[in-house]
Formats: sequence, C-alpha cells, structure tokens
Amino acid sequence: MDEEPERAKRWEGGYERTWEVLKEDESGSLKATVEEILYQSKRKRVIESHGQVRLGMMRHVYVVIDCSRSMEDQDLKPNRLTSTLKLMEVFVDEYFDQNPISQVGIITTKNKRAEKLTDLAGNPKKHITALKKAVDTVCVGEPSLYNSLNLAIQTLKHMPGHTSREILIILSSLTTCDPANIYELIKTLKSLKVRVSVIGLSAEVRVCTVLTRETGGSYHVILDESHFKELLMLHIKPPPASSSSECSLIRMGFPQHTIASVTDQDAKPSFSMSHLDSSSGPGLSLGGYLCPQCHATYTELPVECKVCGLTLVSAPHLARSFHHLFPLQAFVESPVENLQGDRFCQACQAELKDKSVSG
Amino acid sequence: MASEDEINLLVIVVDVNPIWWGQQAQRDPQFTLSKCMDAVMVMGNAHMAMARTNKLAVIASHCQGSHFLYPSKSWSGEDGGGNDVSSSGDGKYELLSAANNLIVEEIRNIMSKIEVTGNSTDTLLAGSLAKALCYIHRLTKELEVGQEIKSRILVVKAAEDCALQYMNFMNVIFAAQKQNILIDACVLDSDSGLLQQACDITGGLYMKIPQKVALAQYLLWVFLPDSEQRSQLVLPPPAHVDYRAACFCHRNLIEIGYVCSVCLSIFCNFSPICTTCETAFKIQLPQIVKPKKKKLKQPM
Repeated sequence: MDEEPERAKRWEGGYERTWEVLKEDESGSLKATVEEILYQSKRKRVIESHGQVRLGMMRHVYVVIDCSRSMEDQDLKPNRLTSTLKLMEVFVDEYFDQNPISQVGIITTKNKRAEKLTDLAGNPKKHITALKKAVDTVCVGEPSLYNSLNLAIQTLKHMPGHTSREILIILSSLTTCDPANIYELIKTLKSLKVRVSVIGLSAEVRVCTVLTRETGGSYHVILDESHFKELLMLHIKPPPASSSSECSLIRMGFPQHTIASVTDQDAKPSFSMSHLDSSSGPGLSLGGYLCPQCHATYTELPVECKVCGLTLVSAPHLARSFHHLFPLQAFVESPVENLQGDRFCQACQAELKDKSVSG
Repeated sequence: MASEDEINLLVIVVDVNPIWWGQQAQRDPQFTLSKCMDAVMVMGNAHMAMARTNKLAVIASHCQGSHFLYPSKSWSGEDGGGNDVSSSGDGKYELLSAANNLIVEEIRNIMSKIEVTGNSTDTLLAGSLAKALCYIHRLTKELEVGQEIKSRILVVKAAEDCALQYMNFMNVIFAAQKQNILIDACVLDSDSGLLQQACDITGGLYMKIPQKVALAQYLLWVFLPDSEQRSQLVLPPPAHVDYRAACFCHRNLIEIGYVCSVCLSIFCNFSPICTTCETAFKIQLPQIVKPKKKKLKQPM
C-alpha cells in the first residue's frame, strides 16, 4: 500500500561483535569505558540538533496512557503502570519548565474505551494530582487506539493554526480494538496536521509504525526504565514546526503583580478566577495578577483569562523559551598540549588537568 | 544550628565601573571606591568569621571584563603565600588579613592597569555572574562525600543597567534558579529592573540603599544572614517587580502586546511583518457577509 523504507530487521543482519567495544582499564573496571560511551552519545545528540529550523514554541500535547491489562506486567518495577505514572510526573514538571506557554492534556484508554483524565491546561498542579490519583486504577481490557486518537482530535482540531498539535502515546499492549478503519483516521490526522509519536513498552507494532511515519512523529520501544525516561525527555524539546503551520501575531497580556497588605486602606480582597471551579474553600486574596483588559485576579501565570480570553504571561516565561531558539554552539575539543601559557581556567580559577579542553 | 559539614559560600560581585566611580568621586568625595571596597572587605571578613566552614570569593566587574579579586591565582593556598604577606602584627585572624591584603592588591592592579578602550561603558555584569556560577559549580564538584554546600551571590551595583545584556542575564538567572543559588542585590544609585527580576526569581533580597556612606551597615544588617536565618528576621519588604515586557520597536513597557509565534518578539502594534525573523503574518480578514436580497414591493 505505502512504500516502506528499505530497512533490514535486526535478525536479518550478520552477527555484531558488540563485546569488542568495551575495554577494561588497569584495575579491571569497565566504568570508564561505559561513561565514555554515554558521554559520546550525548554529544552526538547535541551536535545533531538542527541549526536554523523554525520551532513550534506554543505546543498543545495530548499524552495517551495505555491502562490495559498488559500494564500490570512486572517487568518495570513495581509494575508498568506505577512506573509510567511516576515518569509522567517528572515529564509534566520538566515540560512546563522548558515550555512555559504550552499546554498538556492526559487521556487514558482501557476496556476498549478512552476517557480524558485531564483537559488541556497550562497548570502543572492539576495534572500531577490527577496522575497521583490514577495509580489506583484497575488495569483491565484492551486499549483502543482509534478511540483515544478520536478523543484527542476533537479538542485539538479547534486549536489555532500557529500552535503545534501533538499526541504522545505510551502503548504497552500488542493489540488494539478499534470500531472503524484506523487508516482513515490516519488520513484525518495528516490533514489536521497533528503529529503523533509512540513509545512502545513491549515490542514494535506495525500499525504504530505506519501511524508515526505518516504523521511525522517518532516511534521508539524502550529497553529499560532509564531508556524510558530518556525517550520521554526527548519529547520535551520543541519539535521543528511543520511547513504548513501558520505564523501569526498572538495578542497577549503582561499583568502587573500587586502586593497589598491588610493595613492598606485601598486594598480590597477579591476572588482569584483560577480557583472558581476548585472546591478548596473561598480563595480570597489581597493581591495577585490583574488582567490588563478586564481586571480579573489570578494567583499564577501563565493562564488564559476566563473572562475576556486574553492569554496572560510574564516576560521571564517568554525568555525561558529563548534558549531553544538561540542554542549554544557545540564546543570544540582541543588537546591540552596546544594551550600556551598557564594551564588555567579563566572562569573558575582551577588548573586544567583533563586530556582535552573544550572551548 | 548549621551542621558541621555544611559549607556556606558567599560570592560578592562588585561593580567597579571606572567611569561611574570617577563621576561619583566628584559628586561626593566622602564615598569613593576605596570606601566601598572597605565596606565589602568588612562584609567578607564578617562572613568568614561566622563559622569555620564559611567560604568567600570576590569578583570585580569592569567594563572590559571581570576579574577574581579573591581567591586569585597568585595565591596558592592557606599555607603558602609566605609569612611576609599575612603577618599583621595585631593578632588578627591570619586568613582574614591575608584575604584583605590580596583584595587590596588585586583591585589596585586592576584599576591602574586596565584602560578603557572602545565605546562600551557598561559594566559586564552578566559575565561576572556567569564566572561566579562557574566557581560555585567547581567547588560543588570538589566536595567530599557527606559535605553539603549552600551558595549565594551578592551583587553590589553602581552603574545603570545595560539592556543589551538582557538575554545573558536571563540565562544566568535561570541557571542560578535551577542550582538553588540565591542572588541578592545591593544597589547604590539607580534601580535596576534586571536585578529586581533576578532577586525575585531566585528568592534573594533586593535593596536600594538610601545613604551610600552607610554601605557597611546595610551590608551587615541585611545581607549577612543566610537564607535559613532570614526567615526569623524582619527584613525590608520585597520590591514591587515590574514583569511587564518591553516592546521591541520602542522599548516601552506594555501591558497588552502582540507576540510573534515564531521568534517570540513582542510588538505594541500590529504589523504585517515581524522585524526580527521577517515572517509575513496571516491577517485575519473580517468575514464579508453577503446582503440578503430583499423582495422589492411592487407598486400598486
């Protein structure tokens, strides 16, 4: 049906002598070689990163977590579900740290159905509380790729064109139960410019390969828990924007932070709009961030004003995203013998002892 | 009480912009650079005297670069250095007098040898903060097992802000926030928006001194206690930080602006092309509604 790239499967290749790479040092330990290999792979990843490519800075990501019966398997300690949820908490924290103006939503799928755990939101606390509560869910049934993708599309298709729409699926089962043709859905995803990536916990599944290839995402299968964490962290960097995403000027507000104390005569307590739907008591506060358009109070940024719809951010949030746009150039290693004069580090006043110096 | 193994590191970054200090000496001969360095040395000595495991570093921030005043590379260690340098004869703790002598000698070298060339008269504060972070990082890596280190940076700022250093400054601030390093600021002359943001984001203290002559007093009262002790003291209230962004076209602070989705530059007015990344924007045209054809009434 569609042309597959010529790629030999692992069992079709000849024998690889992977043990020859490791060498022992004089005390018989392999630690130095292992660290060297890890270091080289990290540097390769940094150098490979694209130069002047337009990045999708405002991202809407839906994470689909498989809660089917295969998640009770104990190959990740204590079981796959607990391990996944713990890594998801780390993911959510890092994600909002690196992309402060983006949003995340979580969907779970089990028993041939899909349901939303949390809506698309820019506040990490809601997601983390939901993830902590989800540890008790019973894993039963089969997942449904079609239903979860459908549920995600229903929200993503209303998002404005300049944002990047992504879905990240964590799939542990080898089967999926779909009510309709999933290849039609893949065509819809392509037309809506949604990028789907999959992290497999068991083995490679062909329908996922097709799904990620058609939509432009990535497909990886984990080796162990640290590899799982590494693969999740790969999705935190903003992906290159697709050529058809529109660039537009987005209207944003930069609210002032008012701090008032009880002794001020003009200070009036007000409800924070962000706590309207939470049930934790009246959220009266004296200060906060005032929306410049409608003067509604909010306790935290970034947030979308519920009254007038203006996105509110503060300047450091935008500055946070700058280091993706202006990345550091890779350091060039030069051997320490080439240095003339004192072997001295300008920045921290230490003697240079390593074999090679980067700069 | 702090445990025996905890090391408290204080890095003092002093702004020694020669142009500002030269003008200051003419404005007010009572408060000159030497008086300021005296106050800084008093603060450094006080910090080192608080506990045996406290450490100090001093960096001078110049418009041509930044230099470590203490510890400097010509000083090989506590036992080296020679007896002629450190013997002060009045029974002062040897470490403190050695540190003072070093600082005085280095600042004298720097101010006499470096000439101001070029057009830039702004202090390279972001670079000095980056060097301070490197030094802290190196000391953290050299710790033995079981030792903890808590670090903070104190900036004594004299001249005005330089808007060109905004990106570097923000990077330094985020790096310090990640490493849990506090940045405190003691401002002598004009308020600095960048340092206010730095202190707010990292959790440090910002203070503009009302009377420059009393610099030593303010340093000892406000900035000497470390973060654990600060919760038990009543210190000056936090300054009102202006987090509004400045637009790229006029450098005015704006409350509502337009942000380019590609390069995140901020504009105050709508314009069809972004000046930074030169992308043409899609303009939302209002929908044209076709008027409904009304049936004309036939004249009777």
